Order: sequence, then structure tokens, then C-alpha cells
Amino acid sequence: MHVPDGILPAQICVGGYALTGLTAWLSLRKINRCHDPAQGVPKAALLTAAFFAASLLHIPVPPASVHLVLNGLLGVILGYYAFLAILVGLFLQAIMFGHGGLSTLGVNALIMGIPALIAYFVFQLRDRAPKRLNQRLTTGFFAFLAGASGTAISALLFYSLMVLNVPAEMDVMAERIAVAGLTVAHIPLVILEGIFTAVLVLFLEKVKPELLRNTWSKASS
Amino acid sequence: MKLDLDVYSHQHSWMHRWEPRCKLIGLMGVIFAFAFVQDLRLLVPMLVVTASLFMSSGLPLTVLTHRLRYPGFFLLGMVLLLPFFAGETVIWQWGKLSLYQEGCLATILIAVRFVSILTIALILVASTPFLALLKALRSLGLSPILTDMLLLTYRYLHDITESLTTMRTAMRLRGGDRSRARFLIPDWRTFRQTASLAGTLLIRSYEQSERVYKAMRLRGYGLAQGQTNRQDWRSIQVSNILALGLSLVVAGGFVLAEVLI
Repeated sequence: MHVPDGILPAQICVGGYALTGLTAWLSLRKINRCHDPAQGVPKAALLTAAFFAASLLHIPVPPASVHLVLNGLLGVILGYYAFLAILVGLFLQAIMFGHGGLSTLGVNALIMGIPALIAYFVFQLRDRAPKRLNQRLTTGFFAFLAGASGTAISALLFYSLMVLNVPAEMDVMAERIAVAGLTVAHIPLVILEGIFTAVLVLFLEKVKPELLRNTWSKASS
Repeated sequence: MKLDLDVYSHQHSWMHRWEPRCKLIGLMGVIFAFAFVQDLRLLVPMLVVTASLFMSSGLPLTVLTHRLRYPGFFLLGMVLLLPFFAGETVIWQWGKLSLYQEGCLATILIAVRFVSILTIALILVASTPFLALLKALRSLGLSPILTDMLLLTYRYLHDITESLTTMRTAMRLRGGDRSRARFLIPDWRTFRQTASLAGTLLIRSYEQSERVYKAMRLRGYGLAQGQTNRQDWRSIQVSNILALGLSLVVAGGFVLAEVLI
């Protein structure tokens, strides 16, 4: 879900950079309120590299295989660093492989990063769930919601931007149908992403729970 | 997966010698000016500027063709779909299938903008050492947290990718990749194994990051808060400033032409 160079008009690209700058500034403000902001940098950087590598994994779904987005999971683990991590990852992808683009970096960061932050807030809701409920089930449920919402919102943003900015006259109804159809076509991927996030979060909860509860990635409000 | 960015960055063309901050501002200005273009008459000048910049960089053509390969598939999708679904003026029809003039023109516009912007971005990245690019970004006001994250992510990306490859090989040797997936239905066992693999990779990276942080802390990382890395603009040679001015004039020319035409 990377918008390549040349597709979007400059106004959208500049607007994307402006909103990305604002979101990055807000994230940095939250991070700088931490006890030791420098402590989180190597952790966020290495986890960004790990997410970058993990996004190369494919799930076989015959006759093809599915490549996971993982932005919801990134939000769950990295908290306020998630948007910066996505910005870094997209910049590296653009300059190393030509995936996405430099002119569309801001737009792509918003498409992937805003859902990651939403996923973070969704996962935080598990702390407000009644304690009498099965904790494992609650964690799995909110991890599923976080993973699924990350991909679903990204798909909606991506296809809306792509279809609504095609530089030729298209029928308004056809545009709406295209956006709705392409987003609905992503429902199996959204469910798969949600299940994958839930399974992975439950694995981390069992093996390395501090990765989900670390204070370095969760700045004080 | 080849991660080395600096393969072509140590040549001696004029583009390679251009001061990184000036180059970054100048070429990004041209990139945004190209993104601004909507008028088809500006496409030929755009290609001329792109070709001139590419030739001045001295980069081999194979780098460009290799770079165009993956995003080219996306463009191919647009080329195949847009002329048949966007527009009103029918120029060719076969049954219910119609080819629209507006869709064809939009495809040409997108294709030329795509190739031009991608080429300029390649020139910027391939002719500047990664560290010099980071220094330039930092000097232009990028947050130190973001700069450090970029540097560390790039530094450890290769290690972590290698680690993932080793883990996958180990899993395969133990018979862990025998998927029983059926048509459109993933295999639950493979699914859980992949999730565990990704989880183990995250845990390993997290543990490695703690060691890296301790090593960095011992070398004084994080102690000099607020220290900036602003390079002196006065040390830049006049020729670099002139080249920056010229590129901004070219960029401005495209924007002006787009507004006036």
C-alpha cells in the first residue's frame, strides 16, 4: 500500500508532508516527555528494522501468498514511536528499493502511520477492560482489533486517495463503487492481519511480556 | 536482498561533488515541481531536464532500469486499467470495452511524471553517501531522534534480515514449512509458526537493542541534550549555491509554466 511517485498531484504531496510533519512533531513531543527519551531510540530503531524484515514474511494462501502489512502490530509494540518508525521504514524503502517514493513519502507515512497510532490506542483499551474477564482472551481480542483496524484504515485511505486523485474525469458513482469495492476486497486480509497480530501478541505476552508493557514507548500523557 | 546504498556514491561526477544540502534542496524542489505538472506540453521539457541530470550524474543506465523494475509493475497496472475506465471521449470501442482519450492522456502524464521523479530521486540517493545525506537532513532541521533512528535502523537492518534468513532456514530444516494450506484457506499450523518466527525476531531485536543502548550510553549517548549538528552554510562553495539557484529556477519555471499555460 505505497503510493508511487508521479500519481498524486503536488498539492496532495505537499499536504501529506505538512500533516506528516505535524504528526511527527506531536509524536516527538510525547516521546520527549518520557523520563529518558534517548533510551527508546535504539529499541525503536532495532524493532523498526525487525518489522522491516518481518514484513518480508508471506503466509501461503493457495494459489498465492499474502504479504502482511503489520502496521497495527507496530502501533501495539512501539506506541508513540510507531509513526516515526513507519516514516523511517518508508524512507529507507523509497531510497533503497524505490518502493513508494520521495515525493509521496508524507502521504504514505499518513496512510500507514495514522492507523498504527489508532491501533496503539485501541490496544490500550485492554487496560480498561473489566479485570474479571479472562486476561488472555481480552489481550487477544484487543490485539485482533488493533491489527485488523490498522490494515483496514490503511486500505481505506490508500484506495480513497488513489481513486479520487486519478487525473481524468471519472463518474462519481464509479469512484465510490471502486473505493468501496477495493476496500471490501481487503476484508479477508484485514481478518488475517488481525488473527496474526493476536497470535503474535499472545506469543509475546507469554515469552516477553515487557515488550508489550514497556514504559519507554509509552510516554506520559 | 541488497542493502548497500553507497555502491555508486563515491564517483567523481559533478553531481557527486555537489554539496549534499544544496543537492537535497535543489533536487527535491525539482521533484515537487514535476509533481505539480498537469499540462501535457510540459512533459517533453521534463524528460529533457531529467535526462540532462541523469547524464551529469554519470550513473550507469542499468541502475535506473533495475530501480524502475518493481514500481514499474504498479505503473503497468495503471496503464492497463486507466485508459479503459477513466474519461468520456471514446476513441476506440470493442463491444462493451471502450478506450477513452482522457484516460490515455492521464496514463501518459502519470508515466512521464513517475519516470522523471523516480530518476531524480535515484540521482539524489545514488550520488550521495548515506551518512552525508543524514548529516544534510540533520543540518536542515530533522529531529535528532529521527536521525538516530534512521541511522540505527539502517545499521542493523542487514544483521536482522540475516538473522531472519537463518531462523527460516533452521525452521525449514526441522520440517517447519510443510504447509497444508488448501485453496484460499491458510494452514493454521504454518500461520502460528510464522507468527512465532516474527515474535522471536522481535524479541531478539529487542534484546539486542538493550545491549546496543548500554554500549551507546557508555560512549556518552544521550548526555549532550540539545546539541545541534548545524553545519556552517558559509563554507559552501559559490558553484554549489549557483547550482542550487539554477535548479530552483528550473523548478520555479515548471510551476510558473503550469500556472500560466
